[in-house]
Amino acid sequence: MSSKTESKKWNMEAAKKLFQEYLKKSIEEKKKEVKLPENTVQIDNLNRQQTLERIYKLTDSLIDMIYENGRPSIKLPSRASANIIWDEENDLLLLGQQIMEKQFHSLGSVADMTRLMKVLEKVNELLIKDMHATKREIFYSSVQLFGDQKNSDKCIEDVATMLYTTRNSTHIVASAKGSCIGRLRIRDRNDIIDLEGLGSGGWTISPMLDNIEILESDAEFILVLEKDAAMIRLSEARFWRKYPCIILTAKGAADIATRMFLKRISKELQLPVFTLVDSDPYGHYIHSVYLRGSKRLSYESPFLATPDIKLLGVLTRDLEKYKIPNDCTIPMNQTDIKRTKEMLNEDFVKKNKAWETDLKLALKLKVKAEIQALSTFGFEFLTDQYIPEKLSTGDWI
Amino acid sequence: MKIFYKKDGGIVQLIDKEKMKEWSIELPLIFIEYIRNNQLKSYNDPKLKKEIEKYLDEVLTDVAIPGLIEVLDGDNVEEVNKALVRIEELAKKNIEMVKPIKPYVEKLVKKNNKEVKNLSNSIIDKFKKAERKKKLAEKRKIMQEKEKLFLAGNLSGEEYAKARKEYLILKE
Repeated sequence: MSSKTESKKWNMEAAKKLFQEYLKKSIEEKKKEVKLPENTVQIDNLNRQQTLERIYKLTDSLIDMIYENGRPSIKLPSRASANIIWDEENDLLLLGQQIMEKQFHSLGSVADMTRLMKVLEKVNELLIKDMHATKREIFYSSVQLFGDQKNSDKCIEDVATMLYTTRNSTHIVASAKGSCIGRLRIRDRNDIIDLEGLGSGGWTISPMLDNIEILESDAEFILVLEKDAAMIRLSEARFWRKYPCIILTAKGAADIATRMFLKRISKELQLPVFTLVDSDPYGHYIHSVYLRGSKRLSYESPFLATPDIKLLGVLTRDLEKYKIPNDCTIPMNQTDIKRTKEMLNEDFVKKNKAWETDLKLALKLKVKAEIQALSTFGFEFLTDQYIPEKLSTGDWI
Repeated sequence: MKIFYKKDGGIVQLIDKEKMKEWSIELPLIFIEYIRNNQLKSYNDPKLKKEIEKYLDEVLTDVAIPGLIEVLDGDNVEEVNKALVRIEELAKKNIEMVKPIKPYVEKLVKKNNKEVKNLSNSIIDKFKKAERKKKLAEKRKIMQEKEKLFLAGNLSGEEYAKARKEYLILKE
């Protein structure tokens, strides 16, 4: 094993410049007045009280309908992709005019409506008690009524939509697996948590993000790692002490809570975000999920996606640049090739020429490599040279 | 977030004080103490430290103290007690921080609730001690000047004795 690590302190010039640009942009944006396009309604992240108020308003309107004609109904905005408008410039989720009406008195919809009202009742209970539940718990609150978790899951999404809010605002949360470490102090209800002082494991990202508030940070960028192994390396090197940053990982595919937390910290602190993933189609896909969100959850994408995220590495071009030995790379199999071709067909890849070029290079070389391949130059290479050099020179996509 | 610029081009971001207005009454004080005790020393920039100290003082006068006053003025004994415990802890560390609350604590001494009364009296005692300490420091300064004048022969023995007596009474 040869050591290529140079013992110097990189100035992170390119990353700092990007951060200054973001700060400037954010000050200018604060002065701008946001105007919603006609015939659209905004989807908001609400606090507990605001969500409860929307529930009361909805139930009041149902009672009024019962008194007026005895035929109550619920108007539900369509979650079809054609009705979802993401105003990327203002980072707002809007719903169009496609509305579905669900009748209480029709035999066809009685089961659906009962389930929907059951979920609404559970959401109301959670909000009043200031508690949170998972989708699975909601299903188990009335197994006979829901029959299958698919039915309760659908009702959960419907309740969020009819209240024009996100699922997290209804206190129904997804389980979390991510962790975070670095120059950040947060509040979880009445506890102040220092993310520098939690040992090498860091803080387990809470799915109850409505309880979390950012208090203080002197970080200058955020680093998102695909793998826990890379997190251990950076954590052991106390990377954030030398280079002020916040590091997080979802330990593989990006879960909702990790994406939502990343979105929160990057938006509130105006920090540039970089991903470090394996140099393979799956790593690129993980980066794309952080960037755009997954297709399944397009309704909540604006609350989950980080559109400005940069792909720091490991890029295919890095394999040549850093002369990664052949025995540290892996030949691509047919599935890898198929997935790379699929990635090349995505609009967001087509729009990003550097990304497209890198994926095409991967197809040409037919090789992939894990982040750990960099340790062929020594365990410190990742923390002392690879990441700092790329952040200093602006070598990202 | 409130942004503070470091000399080396870096920045420190602290939560905006407006957001703290929605917090429970003791939290802004916990936040101030936390930043003062744990973070300030890590910034390594005297100018930045001064600016952040100033911001923390603003948080205290604009958010923490008004929040406490609102509670002390109310009828919820449990909340009043909770607030008084926090004020007493704070008074032990820095009496100046809680000075704006003094008139409200003085009113609470007359209340019938024993716990409220005891806590209020304890805080008032701390104010009295702090005031005495301040007066003594002032007097000590004057006394030192008078000593210099007396030794130089510019002050009569009678005048010096009078000043010395006043100082000793206050000291006791």
